[in-house]
Amino acid sequence: MQSDTPRKISDPVLEIVDLNLYYGASQALKDISLTIPRKEVTAFIGPSGCGKSTLLRCFNRMNDLLDNVRIEGSIKLDGEQITGPDVDVISLRRRVGMVFQQSNPFPKSIYENIVYGLRIAGVKDKAVLNETVEKSLRGAAIWDEVKDRLHDSALGLSGGQAQRVCIARAIAVNPEIILMDEPCSALDPIATAKIEELINELKEQYTVVIVTHNMQQAARVSDRTAFLYLGELIEFDETRKIFTNPENRHTEDYITGRFG
Amino acid sequence: MLFRKNDKNTTVSDGKFLARARKNDRLAAWLINTGGFLVILSVTSILVLIMKVAIPLFLSPEATVVSTIKPGGSAPTGEIKGMGVDDELRTGFLLDASGTVTFFDRRTGREIHKITITPPGGGSPTIASASDSGGGRFDILWDDGSFTAMKVSFRSQETGGSDQPAIPAVETMLEEKGTGGGPRPLLSVARFADENSPLRVDLLPGNRFSLSKTTATSDLAGNETVRKVRTPFGDEVPGNVTAVALDTEGEYLYAGTDTGRLLRYDLTDPEAPRLLDSVEANTNGHAVTAVNLVLGDNSVAVADADGSLSTWFPVSETGLGSGKTLTRIHSLARHDGAVTVILPASRSKTIYSLDKAGVVSADHMTSERRLLEMRTAKPLVRFAVSGGDNGAIALDADGNITFWHIDNPHPEVSLKTLFAPVWYESYDKPAYVWQSSAASDDFEPKLSLTPLIFGTLKGTVYAMIFAVPLALLGAIYTSQFMGARLKKYVKPAIEIMAAIPSVVIGFLAGLWLAPLLDKAIVSFFLAFAVIPLCVMLSILIWRRIGSLPRLKRVAPGCEFLLLVPALLIGVYVSHALGGILEASLFAGDLKLWLFNTTGVRSDQRNSIIIAFALGLAVIPLIFTIAEDALSNVPKNLSAASLAIGASRWQTAWRVVLPSALPGIFSAIMIGFGRAVGETMIVLMATGNTPILDWSIFNGFRSLSANIAVEIPEAPVFGTLYRILFLSAVLLFVFTFIINTAAEVLRQKFRKKYGRF
Repeated sequence: MQSDTPRKISDPVLEIVDLNLYYGASQALKDISLTIPRKEVTAFIGPSGCGKSTLLRCFNRMNDLLDNVRIEGSIKLDGEQITGPDVDVISLRRRVGMVFQQSNPFPKSIYENIVYGLRIAGVKDKAVLNETVEKSLRGAAIWDEVKDRLHDSALGLSGGQAQRVCIARAIAVNPEIILMDEPCSALDPIATAKIEELINELKEQYTVVIVTHNMQQAARVSDRTAFLYLGELIEFDETRKIFTNPENRHTEDYITGRFG
Repeated sequence: MLFRKNDKNTTVSDGKFLARARKNDRLAAWLINTGGFLVILSVTSILVLIMKVAIPLFLSPEATVVSTIKPGGSAPTGEIKGMGVDDELRTGFLLDASGTVTFFDRRTGREIHKITITPPGGGSPTIASASDSGGGRFDILWDDGSFTAMKVSFRSQETGGSDQPAIPAVETMLEEKGTGGGPRPLLSVARFADENSPLRVDLLPGNRFSLSKTTATSDLAGNETVRKVRTPFGDEVPGNVTAVALDTEGEYLYAGTDTGRLLRYDLTDPEAPRLLDSVEANTNGHAVTAVNLVLGDNSVAVADADGSLSTWFPVSETGLGSGKTLTRIHSLARHDGAVTVILPASRSKTIYSLDKAGVVSADHMTSERRLLEMRTAKPLVRFAVSGGDNGAIALDADGNITFWHIDNPHPEVSLKTLFAPVWYESYDKPAYVWQSSAASDDFEPKLSLTPLIFGTLKGTVYAMIFAVPLALLGAIYTSQFMGARLKKYVKPAIEIMAAIPSVVIGFLAGLWLAPLLDKAIVSFFLAFAVIPLCVMLSILIWRRIGSLPRLKRVAPGCEFLLLVPALLIGVYVSHALGGILEASLFAGDLKLWLFNTTGVRSDQRNSIIIAFALGLAVIPLIFTIAEDALSNVPKNLSAASLAIGASRWQTAWRVVLPSALPGIFSAIMIGFGRAVGETMIVLMATGNTPILDWSIFNGFRSLSANIAVEIPEAPVFGTLYRILFLSAVLLFVFTFIINTAAEVLRQKFRKKYGRF
């Protein structure tokens, strides 16, 4: 049932082996094993409740915030184990950034939003901060829109702009991986198009893992797609292959809209 | 057909449903509007009702002419030596030079009664001088040098109800024949402080005085011996004596001279009267024209030819030992001309004075207020005040007699006496004093609201210093760090604390905590150092042993339970150390040491107690509102912060706290408002001393506790009663200002920090 594809991935950044995750007594992820390639976009698709967001949150240990979560198995980032109690969660999260479903700028200025990650790390050098702000906002393709109002509240931005500021905030600390949890689900088609375009640019420098409900989006932006169903990884392959010639019948049914 | 029918049905039921929904909507809107309106209305009417009681304090006193009469057949104006009126303003009387007291009806002017007194020696009944000693007492010096002290009184009739006028009577209290030799005195005054030994002071020609005291003593066998002492004094009088006043007890004699000097004699030893003071009554040397004592006999009112009126009392001279010097304390409003008569009111520190221009003025000494002026078409030449301070009678140059009804219920109240320092009698300097009652009748209530306002603020500030950090840190910990399971118990537990009746907290604070802390005050201060030290140590120990597998199973979010033993150890250690420290450093008693070295008095019920008790009352309020505000900060904000690599503390401090700031601010302000208005705790745990002192070792008296303490003692619609209502208005205004300021600031924060 599982589609093992390590042979196709030459430079893995995340290696997940036999990952099981329990919320109390109920099992949310079952024996997940997959490898995320470096500087590519990997999409997780699947019906609601299939565990794709849970899987994503394992990569930056955001599941730690919930009570009653138990994880078994291994996740390696650049060959380094990131599960278990001895991992420095803070430095892990600086390497694995995250963009959320709802844009969530802090109630501060745009500038302060971007430099937040640097400030908490103790960076005080004005020149470094200014440079990072410009670089990150350019990287998130929003510099031209906000450069004149960097010190205005980020709460005044539109949804699409706010989401790109959040992306800029995530890349300001220069992570290796950016996790995106349905980043466009609250946005209109134009804003969505801009974000998708941005994702394409981001993969030049970063590894992107995106969870999406929108199969067209997965088809458009991702290089590889993993289909999860009821906590199991059903199929993981190159996107082109998944969408044109899936090996599993479940995958085909889902993609063609027979359920979901 | 079927389709259409269905469609129609749907429309009908939709229409009905919509109509009902609209009706419910309107009903709800009406109910909500009415409710809101009623709330505003009731709050406003409470304020109006309270203010209605307080406002008469500031209304000006009034004197209304009730009647003007010209009694038929009375002696010419120049022959009138004294006058008076009864307390009900029904009957007036005139004393003429022949010794006849004529009583007449106030309304008709008809003569009611006539009593004639005669000189004791049987000489010619001509009065040389009569002095009004107040309360219907007149000291009459006859032409032949004999003396009569008499008292006019009104006895209410036993039958006939209250409409019947009182029956007048004249009582002779002392009669003395003139001494054979020597000149006739110019003026004589008698006092009856001791019934058996009347005291008489004469002003003799040549500016000398004579004091005579008759003492009757009886030995064991019942034989009565009468001893009479007669002492002349006053060799040192500078200038001519123009005014004389003797206090009720006959202990001090005041005299004014035409050179503007004011003299004070001590007559307590009748054989050796002593000159105590000789001071300049005014800088310009104007003649003193009238002197009289103000109610209570502490202050003397002095007026001069220039029309200035002032009151004086002895004050300790700074740096000159125990000596007291007569000092000008209050300068009252000036008269246009020389003041001829000063009469004190019998129920307040009001002074009535008549000037050459014929105008009677009433001034309140302490508040330095000109209360009212009484004048008629013709200048007034003589006047008297009723014993109840509710009326006055005056005689004008044409022989007309005018009666006034005086409505002067709150002469001692002015904005100045309520809020500014006031120089009260027998104080060395102006002060803020609240002292509403005392044992004696001639006591002047001291009604400064400043110490009470100060007390309210002091209690609130100390309570907030204690409560705000604890409540906020607790709220931050509970909302951001504590495990969800534990929080489920902790938050309701603290909220239940808000339901503890404040009387219970006050009781515990005043009767349990205060004596406890009193004994262990060194340990208390030591605990501020020892307990944090123990906490630090426990954290260090936890770092060492926390990774042991057995301890790891302590659920995350419950780590703080480890502080409990640290806290207990801290309390024990500081208690043990405190005793040792007190014995070695402070000679075994910190309070005594503190008083001896710094002069700080330490009360058992002090501000430390109130900080704890009042703090305990406001902590649940601040905690629960702040905790809600912090918990309501959207989780995705803290998630964003954590996802970027912030620690939980950084997230709480930099993201959650600023977002929750409007709510936290509300929490603090609501706590502040509660602390300002709190009554029971403050009442029971402060000692209620109305002093102005920031010392944490002293108590205070707050506005609210003051109302609770004094309202049972305050006669309805009396001055104190109205002032208590005024302090209620002040509390109301305080709360209003605090809430308004809080709301304005909250809106500002909300604009700054966004939607939460």
